[in-house]
Amino acid sequence: MAARVVNVSAPEQTFLEKIYLIEVAKGMIRTLGHFFRNAPRTLLHEVPVIGKKLVAKLGIPTIHYPEQKRDYSDRFRGRHILKKRDDGTLKCVACYMCQTACPADCIHIEAGEHPNLAYEKHPVVFEIDLLRCVMCGFCVDACPKDAIWMTRDYELSFFTRQSAIYGIPELTEKPSDTASDGPGYGYRPYYGQSPMKKAGEFQPSGLALLPVLDLRAKAINRMPPPPQAPKPAPAQAAKPAA
Amino acid sequence: MTAQTAAQPAVSFAPLLEKKFGGAIRPEPGPKSDIPTVGCDAATLKDLALFLRDDPNAKFDLLLDVVSIDRSRLPAAMRPRDGHRFGLSYLLYSTRHNQHLRVRVGVPEADPKVPTLVDTWPAANWFEREAWDLMGVTFEGHPNLRRLLTHNGFVGHPLRKDYEASQRWLCTEEDLLKTELAARTEVEEDIFETMTLNFGPSHPATHGTLRCVFRVDGEKIVAAESECGYLHRNFEKMAEEHTFTQVIPYTDRLNYCSPMINGNGYARTIEQMLGIEVPPRARAVRSILAEFSRIMDHMVCVGTNLVDLGALTNFWYAYQAREQIYSLLEACCGARLTSSYARIGGLSNDVPANFADWCRTLCREIEDELKEIDGLITKNRIAHKRMRGTGYISKADAIAYGFTGPCLRASGVGYDVRKDAPYDFYDEVDFDVPVADGGDNFARYLVRMEEMRQSIRIIEQLVKKLPGGPIVSDDYRVVLPPKEMVYNEMEGLIYHFKVVFEGIKVPPGEIYSFTEGGNGELGYSLVSDGSGRPYRLKVRPPCFPLFAAFEKMVIGGMVSDAVATLGTLNIIAGELDR
Repeated sequence: MAARVVNVSAPEQTFLEKIYLIEVAKGMIRTLGHFFRNAPRTLLHEVPVIGKKLVAKLGIPTIHYPEQKRDYSDRFRGRHILKKRDDGTLKCVACYMCQTACPADCIHIEAGEHPNLAYEKHPVVFEIDLLRCVMCGFCVDACPKDAIWMTRDYELSFFTRQSAIYGIPELTEKPSDTASDGPGYGYRPYYGQSPMKKAGEFQPSGLALLPVLDLRAKAINRMPPPPQAPKPAPAQAAKPAA
Repeated sequence: MTAQTAAQPAVSFAPLLEKKFGGAIRPEPGPKSDIPTVGCDAATLKDLALFLRDDPNAKFDLLLDVVSIDRSRLPAAMRPRDGHRFGLSYLLYSTRHNQHLRVRVGVPEADPKVPTLVDTWPAANWFEREAWDLMGVTFEGHPNLRRLLTHNGFVGHPLRKDYEASQRWLCTEEDLLKTELAARTEVEEDIFETMTLNFGPSHPATHGTLRCVFRVDGEKIVAAESECGYLHRNFEKMAEEHTFTQVIPYTDRLNYCSPMINGNGYARTIEQMLGIEVPPRARAVRSILAEFSRIMDHMVCVGTNLVDLGALTNFWYAYQAREQIYSLLEACCGARLTSSYARIGGLSNDVPANFADWCRTLCREIEDELKEIDGLITKNRIAHKRMRGTGYISKADAIAYGFTGPCLRASGVGYDVRKDAPYDFYDEVDFDVPVADGGDNFARYLVRMEEMRQSIRIIEQLVKKLPGGPIVSDDYRVVLPPKEMVYNEMEGLIYHFKVVFEGIKVPPGEIYSFTEGGNGELGYSLVSDGSGRPYRLKVRPPCFPLFAAFEKMVIGGMVSDAVATLGTLNIIAGELDR
């Protein structure tokens, strides 16, 4: 037990250290060194066009927010978005998984019947109270339908409490979210190709030897409806209720 | 050695207990990974405590925690034989024998009284006040049994199972906010000689909502009383209302200077209870990020403490390193401060591809920053004058008040959970435990500086042998299955559904699991009733005993020394108040 301990004790001061003046000078050299190293680099920021890139490359830790913004990783947990299918309808099927997984009780869902019967169920109300949300990402983990992702948008400020409750119109993914100057995708259930199989790719489970299950496999592979579903987008149908 | 994974060690002094107390003491079997437990009655508690503290074979000199529990909603099979509604568990540690022990006492509902142990362990003072405040167990003979975490206008005891969590009690009367000391001063005669000074709760030097009332004679403190609870949100009650997974984001808010360590400790507790294996890669990454968090914690402590002493520059050097670590954490888990990275069974995501190189670069940068702080402070005459000899606590007092972590090591006791009960990867890396004998503010500063260097050593060794493989266990009763399974297979979806809706089914039982937090031993006492939610989860916040001793440490010193002492103790309000 004794060998692993390293004893630290206060160092005794020499006479030169005690008279202090030399030490003051040494300290000044140290701090001024930082100043002269950092000042030119910080001034570079004012140089148009290339200045900001140079600063980023030289690694100045201070960021001139809001002109300059920090680059976050693609795991950043920011504002949520609801993903859409190819035909523009929400992927969400109102299964209440995210609402159940949420530790802050900030998600409120009301389910309804989808106008397109092939989709069966969809959220009539889907609200996230961003003032309650703790941005833990558990809703993204919990979603079995790949319907909720997060963006890198962290600039969330509101004038009223009511405006902090985002409904379906605000949460639905917009082109501006992934535009070149937009926040971009953040935390999501997978990175790269979606592991979700498309129609025709489903394998019947282990008991495929039975002809009945073969029929079942065919039925599963018919499940995702054809994309040429009629245009009355359910997003519009949902609007008055939201 | 209480190696936490080994079988539960027998109480070596059990025959002695038998001989001295006869049938009044009974060893109580628990899960394999739990600490040994003995049960006793309220009547024998005082004698037993004295025996355990003083007998050379026991020597349990450090009281870690007092855990209270309301057993009224426990399933019948888990009810104790005595049938009492309340239970108290005293968690003890022996610095001589490196052994943990739990002493369990039943308290009847009709007359919830237990003799106080403040005379045996001074640390019991605040722990007992907390148990009275939150659970309503009275401690006979306690010198100051008043509310601690809640305010004086509060009605009821929130951790009782029949307390409705959504109730609100507003503190509107000014008198209710007065501490005992402030109220006493008004009536005493020497009011013209001394004056009462309110320090906090929102004072820039307290770095958090801590309050202390000083009675000063000129600049000298003659009496002091510290108070906490301004950031109290009852984490423990909240944990009872959420599933095991949902508690993880709450743990980030305990010690917000090192959130990773809290999450790891919590996940470890549940994993021990479940008995599941965590993949080696997850354990290594947890250790690496925990060490980075420890560096952040110490950087915040040293940096802000020096600001309070007037040395602002070091703060920037320390915070620069901290910012860089936050960026690494963000790339791993998606948030800079509220990480929620740990999952029961592993971690939520694998680390980024450049993780190892990033860690090495960071280690170099942190070393540079440390050298700068070292060069400016360690031999600085002003720093010596301000910190040497102030805020002194002796070895015996530090143990008696329940200190752990850097503050205990600065008083000369080399207890470090990473060494004495190794977990994760700490038994496979080579590092030293810094110990100083000074017991003063400067010793605590030196210990923290050295610990950061040791943390860098640990990180470098772990990065070198970072194992491959999965980052999370594949036990789908506990862990959410991978998305390929959830999206495409019925079985995967069923497991996913069960984990989300029902929570993790933790087997019934009680456990105390401890890790080394930024400020000392961070313990989680968990009682599970077999459902998806914790029945009782008690955190042992390392700050709590430190702040309890603060009022004793500052007496006789200057007000400005009190600021320095508060800084080196590194009280984090989120963890102190829970």
